[in-house]
Amino acid sequence: MTQPPPSKNFIFSEKIDSDYLFSLYADDLPYIEEVYSITLNHFDEDLEHIRQAWISGDITNLKRATHKMKPAMGFAGLTGIQQQCMEFEELCQKVPSIDRLKDTYHQLITTLAESKVLIGSEYERLKAHNANTPCP
Amino acid sequence: MSLSCIIVEDLQVAADYLSRCCEKSGLVSVKAHYTNVAEALEYLNKNAIDLLFLDVEMPGATGFELLDQLAYHPKVILTTSKSEYAYSAFEYNVTDFLKKPFTYQRFLDAVHKLISNNNAETSPSNNNDHIFIKSDGKLVRLKNDDILFMESMGDYVKFVTNDKKYVTHNTIKHLEEKINRQCFIKVHRSYIINITKIDDIRENDLYIKGFEIPISKAHRAEIIKRLNII
Repeated sequence: MTQPPPSKNFIFSEKIDSDYLFSLYADDLPYIEEVYSITLNHFDEDLEHIRQAWISGDITNLKRATHKMKPAMGFAGLTGIQQQCMEFEELCQKVPSIDRLKDTYHQLITTLAESKVLIGSEYERLKAHNANTPCP
Repeated sequence: MSLSCIIVEDLQVAADYLSRCCEKSGLVSVKAHYTNVAEALEYLNKNAIDLLFLDVEMPGATGFELLDQLAYHPKVILTTSKSEYAYSAFEYNVTDFLKKPFTYQRFLDAVHKLISNNNAETSPSNNNDHIFIKSDGKLVRLKNDDILFMESMGDYVKFVTNDKKYVTHNTIKHLEEKINRQCFIKVHRSYIINITKIDDIRENDLYIKGFEIPISKAHRAEIIKRLNII
């Protein structure tokens, strides 16, 4: 009997756009694990840049830091959060003062913090899965 | 033969993915990765490459500012997550624009486009063997092979050929965009030379039929790359 490809043996969280992930990485689960590892290694630093820009009231840096986080979410298959980052980035350009961003900023920070937890748990599951999957 | 490239990108996961695409394609060889413009510029001033994968928004200077400061023009593929840079990309004559994240197929399309453009530029049908310059109130036809070098004289440029000199109202910067890049190369902010006419190179000067022409530090790597050194 023909075995299904290894990617089909791993079910990502429904919050992750797995079709998009597989289209990017061609079903390469070990590489997706690596992508998650790199993303997690830089996550805190990148999130801190957003927080610091907010604290210092620097809208230019707030936009820049969000701009950097945006594709990182895409690379992790979190396309909805990538879109949220993009909308926030656009808002940064439109609003006359940073105070107008308060609610949206806090929503974004909460979502990003939750994303880190999600990527972390998916990374651990993937690592275990890949460790138990024989090399092709 | 693979294209040499560097990646200028501050997002580690994007740089890693791009390196992987390059390696998988077998068409592009990654020489280095930099996360900011200053370090990339330092590398590019010492080393000539074929292709630059360039992010736009990075800490410090932007990717476009890097292009403004470059002494020579490698092919550029922009990698950014913002579509609004597409117009600037066009203005800077970049080969393609990859919106992050991009698929491997999209990456391949960009590299193939670049290779195909390169082939078109170097094909004999597009390889003009002469230019016309305005001099002394007339248009003078100069064969590329007769031109030794061009020298800036403020708002004028002196064309030195095997047997004559012509002065025309022009600038080296403008000529740089018009000349046949197979024959000519900029070696200094004031000089474009015919690469086939170099007699020898010593330290920071090159010699053509007895003329001593300075080589700037910024152009040295590109010149050495173009020479047929065996």
